[in-house]
Amino acid sequence: MEAESPILRVENLCIGVPRRRRGLLSIVDTADFQLRRHQALGVVGESGSGKTMLCRALMGTLRRHGAGVASGRILYRERDLAGAGEKVWRRIRGRRIGYVPQSSLAGLNPVLTVRTQLTEAIHAAREASATEAEDQALQLLELVRIPRSGQVLEMRSHELSGGMRQRVMIAAALAQEPEILIADEPTTALDVTIQREILNLINRLRERLKMALIFVSHDLAVIEEVCDSVMVMYAGASVEIGPLEAVVRHPRHPYTRALLASRVDLAVPGEDLETIPGDPASVGAWPSGCRFRPRCPLAEDDCREGVQPPLAPAGLQRTACLHHDRMGCDP
Amino acid sequence: MSSGASPETARTTPSSAGVKRLLARTLRHLSRAALGALGVLLVTFTLIHLIPGDPVEILLGDAATEELVAKYRQILGLEGSLPQQFARYLASVAQGDLGTSIQTGQSVNSVVARTLPMTAWLIGVTVLMALLMALPLGVAAALLRGTWFDHAFRVATSVSLATPSFYFGLLLILLFAVRLGWAPVAGYQPGFPGNLQYLWLPALTMSGALVPILARVLQSSIAETMEQEFVETAIVRGLPAPVLVWRYLLRPSLAPTISLLGYILGQLLSATVVVEIVFNLPGMGTALVVEGVLLRDYPVVQGIILIFALIVVAVSFLSDTVSGWLDPRTRLS
Repeated sequence: MEAESPILRVENLCIGVPRRRRGLLSIVDTADFQLRRHQALGVVGESGSGKTMLCRALMGTLRRHGAGVASGRILYRERDLAGAGEKVWRRIRGRRIGYVPQSSLAGLNPVLTVRTQLTEAIHAAREASATEAEDQALQLLELVRIPRSGQVLEMRSHELSGGMRQRVMIAAALAQEPEILIADEPTTALDVTIQREILNLINRLRERLKMALIFVSHDLAVIEEVCDSVMVMYAGASVEIGPLEAVVRHPRHPYTRALLASRVDLAVPGEDLETIPGDPASVGAWPSGCRFRPRCPLAEDDCREGVQPPLAPAGLQRTACLHHDRMGCDP
Repeated sequence: MSSGASPETARTTPSSAGVKRLLARTLRHLSRAALGALGVLLVTFTLIHLIPGDPVEILLGDAATEELVAKYRQILGLEGSLPQQFARYLASVAQGDLGTSIQTGQSVNSVVARTLPMTAWLIGVTVLMALLMALPLGVAAALLRGTWFDHAFRVATSVSLATPSFYFGLLLILLFAVRLGWAPVAGYQPGFPGNLQYLWLPALTMSGALVPILARVLQSSIAETMEQEFVETAIVRGLPAPVLVWRYLLRPSLAPTISLLGYILGQLLSATVVVEIVFNLPGMGTALVVEGVLLRDYPVVQGIILIFALIVVAVSFLSDTVSGWLDPRTRLS
């Protein structure tokens, strides 16, 4: 773990949307993690916890969505990208960072054939003749296990099934052999059997291509299938991060514990599902101190004070909970 | 391919399926055109007979005797009840004969043959000019949303839309023809490419009304496309800017603009009437007003309006085809 320096280090990243009158509206605040080569980091949290905005920050597309990095650093191979301009990002995107979006239907250009979308990505990465690019496009489709790849090459997105579309999306993201693949809820829109196939595919590809993976999901069960470490986000903050097994076995943050307790896949049939009391803190209305405090069974007076506590080492992981030592070691 | 084709196997013979679809669509458009033509004939026939003023009296003057008027009515096919007249007219149109001008005795077919090419040139040059201006403007206005360019664009398009084309035309004549001498003040000589020097100013005049609409529709359509996930994905793929703009912004946004162009061409045809008169161009619009409406020359008016209606149908077919080619999603239905 120490031997290799991380390829991506995100330090205390804050993302905000400029407001008309008063400064910034924070949407992500204290996101903090590292990514080593060939690591698969899962990012889990409720909707509105800032997962997607975090992805956008890592791809340099915040500005398109009217947001920006307020403070903190995104160190890619020791180079800070937090304030980087389009020029710098253009060299990073695609070749360094690939992206598989959530909605596979909207992720493909509806008016272009699969062939065009794959070959243009290949051409963007390197000099290639038309036939070379086409050969590589075919190989990519085979890599993501698409049958009858020659025919699929001529199709457009409305002619493909949901699973096929997501495979094509993955193929296009891999066209430039990125070091890091960011997948934002890539299987959420798919039915369960297709979901499993896509997860297996991502696993195999990561092994084969030695990529690092950032896998965003609201579903811990999905993350357990593909990731070796996990970051839990709540209300724009990293609240717990560590090796997957440690976090799942011995959660050190009450929110993580609550997430684990409310898992559908582990629920006992006939019994009520555990839910987390209260509502998720919404953007712009975060409480002072620890943001999970109003819903937290362990909350004490000191949780109220100051800002969101930073991550501190606890066991094999790091947690933002001030009172993690009072948590029972079993979930 | 075997029968009972699943969607998969149907895919493998796209050409034959495509031909079938095209045939079906052509048939649909043709039947629509026939119905539309019938409606147009009925409406213009009724309307023109509602306008006060008798063509025979205009032709013969105040001094004509009643017998003479009756005789001419018969010669010109204007005797009998209106339904009878309409039935006779319809029968001759069905045989491809648009009738005979009351005033000049020329066949309406020959009037159309004389004036149609010029008007077709005018429309063609206008559409081309309008697209050449509207596409870059719309793209720029969409990309530069919220900047000074966007605001200037809004003001300019509003002003341009609010300016009547006869006035705009006169201003352009003053500037380009009278002051700068870049174009003849008026008139027309047939024959490409010489005719272009007579056409570019009238075409520019008509673009004055067309470009603002097209550019604005394109702007909002691109703005909508920009929100799409596939644009984000394309950006993250690191595609070069020209590819992004053309394939990911313009292409998916172009279909509504082209459909609209086909739709507003009907309006454009009424603009050609004004513009042809302002620029003294011997096209169908001039013929319609000068030879037809003012002299109550029923067959000329009806004939030209029928041709106008057919042009509208043809253009909407064309724009449907083009937007279907641009956006395969619209081809599904």
